[in-house]
Amino acid sequence: MEQWIVVTIIISAYLALTLTIGLMAGRKQTSGVTGYVAADRSFGLLVMYFVTGASVFSAFAFLGGPGWAYSRGAAAFYILAYGALGMAPFYWIGPRIASLGRRHNYVTQAQLITGRFPSRNLSGLIALLSLIAFVPYVTLQMRGAGIVIEAVTDGNVPIWLGSAVSYGIVITYVLSAGAMAVGWTNTFQGIFMVVIAWALGLYLPHALYGGIGEMFTQIIAERPDLLTGPGLATNGEPWSWGAYSTFILVSAVGMMMWPHLFMKAFTAKDDDTIRRTVILFPTFQLFLIPVFLIGFSGVLFPGSPPSSDFILPFMILETNLPAVIVGLFCAGALSASMSTGDALLHASASVVVEDGVQQFVDLEERTQRRLMQALVLFTGAIAYVFAQDPDSSLVLLLASAYGIIAQFAPPVVAALYWRRATTSGVITGLLAGTATAFFFWQNPELKPFDMHEGIVGLLVHIPVLISVSLATPAQSEEHLDQFFG
Amino acid sequence: MTLRTARLLAGAYHLLMLFFVTWPGNVPFAKAEPLILGLPFSMAWIAAWISGSVIVMTLLDQVEKRNRVDHGSED
Repeated sequence: MEQWIVVTIIISAYLALTLTIGLMAGRKQTSGVTGYVAADRSFGLLVMYFVTGASVFSAFAFLGGPGWAYSRGAAAFYILAYGALGMAPFYWIGPRIASLGRRHNYVTQAQLITGRFPSRNLSGLIALLSLIAFVPYVTLQMRGAGIVIEAVTDGNVPIWLGSAVSYGIVITYVLSAGAMAVGWTNTFQGIFMVVIAWALGLYLPHALYGGIGEMFTQIIAERPDLLTGPGLATNGEPWSWGAYSTFILVSAVGMMMWPHLFMKAFTAKDDDTIRRTVILFPTFQLFLIPVFLIGFSGVLFPGSPPSSDFILPFMILETNLPAVIVGLFCAGALSASMSTGDALLHASASVVVEDGVQQFVDLEERTQRRLMQALVLFTGAIAYVFAQDPDSSLVLLLASAYGIIAQFAPPVVAALYWRRATTSGVITGLLAGTATAFFFWQNPELKPFDMHEGIVGLLVHIPVLISVSLATPAQSEEHLDQFFG
Repeated sequence: MTLRTARLLAGAYHLLMLFFVTWPGNVPFAKAEPLILGLPFSMAWIAAWISGSVIVMTLLDQVEKRNRVDHGSED
């Protein structure tokens, strides 16, 4: 039997299994909004751990990570560095968010922020910014899935078909089962992804160079600049410390502000589950090591893929691995893509309906849930159209998405910890921060010290939030006591 | 150890980590050699800080848990 047929059979079996798990999971959940959005606040440690880990590790980590290691060397280590930093504050913030969520029945990030700073416009603004940040992110996941399938089936399954089938499945289980399906499929996909990554990451350096140390010794001899921080820029010149450091910073600040991750605090069964997840999360981060090793194993390998993002499938195919392994790898990469894609689709629909539409029109719970499902389909369709277009600017859009998302951090922190913050302060801060980030994204040559535009945005955002808050009348004690309880 | 000290130490650890994985703290450690467990020094350096974070947060959780039991409250 030809290799690509074996591979296609394995992928099909994997996709069928994912669909089954997704559909089975939804049967236990109630039909209301808390059920669909927050899985009835029922997730235990195992599910929370993998939901968080698998949602963070997307096609970007599985394909982009090795791609960076391969082409930009030590620059890729920024992806390794930010996770633990971004997660640690959630040890305290997470349980606090969860307790406010239980008391006031919040299921989204904007509900929490506008619970403290009542404003329909603020809610709509957050929903809009979230959606802007989500679309390119979903697009990348879909394209990643399509690329992997096309590469390993020798082009017999083209990108349009691969992404359509894999995301058809994701949309089916997200539509029917919501948060519960996302939780259980991510658990399955997370375990799968970790096993495949470690197996290949350890195997390739041994098979090709006789060991990991041996591989790096050879790389250092041939390409001494590659492994010295902060690595290389896209043009092969040394990357700047300003960019490397602020990439870590903006990712650490932005990571848990992604609505699909933030909302996980509302799905947890109890506070201990959140705390354990935070403590264990960095172990998931270490899973990037084998993924990088796969990328590094391509550095001295003869021949090169069409673009650095293809290095993973390229190495798998060029090293004549058995078809079964290729199929399993492909399923692992699909896991990475789909487990983030499903969470993104689910969250974007929840956010747009709860925080956007619902603020301006009063909808019944049943209608809300129907509308969310329509939006999952709609967002999926938009992303699918973009995913067919090999437009490289999408990668830039994703980097900027972090610039937008990081701007959610000051309002969240102000809502939870600063009693003197006011609604006007938060709105002007958010507008100023986002506008600044957008301006420097459009004019990268003006960025001070080559800093990430999201950080420049925060440098404007925070002072504006503080000064406008102090210049406007404080919120009433009554409102504050009602919010904090 | 009191809860307050434990929280301060855990916070301090992560601030130190931030300093040592970005500019300028990272500069002296962003080198390829020596290899640690086969990995370039720059990579092993970050991996070590991540592992440290797991340990620090686990210890903090022990202290937090003991305090919650003592006071018999949720927070």
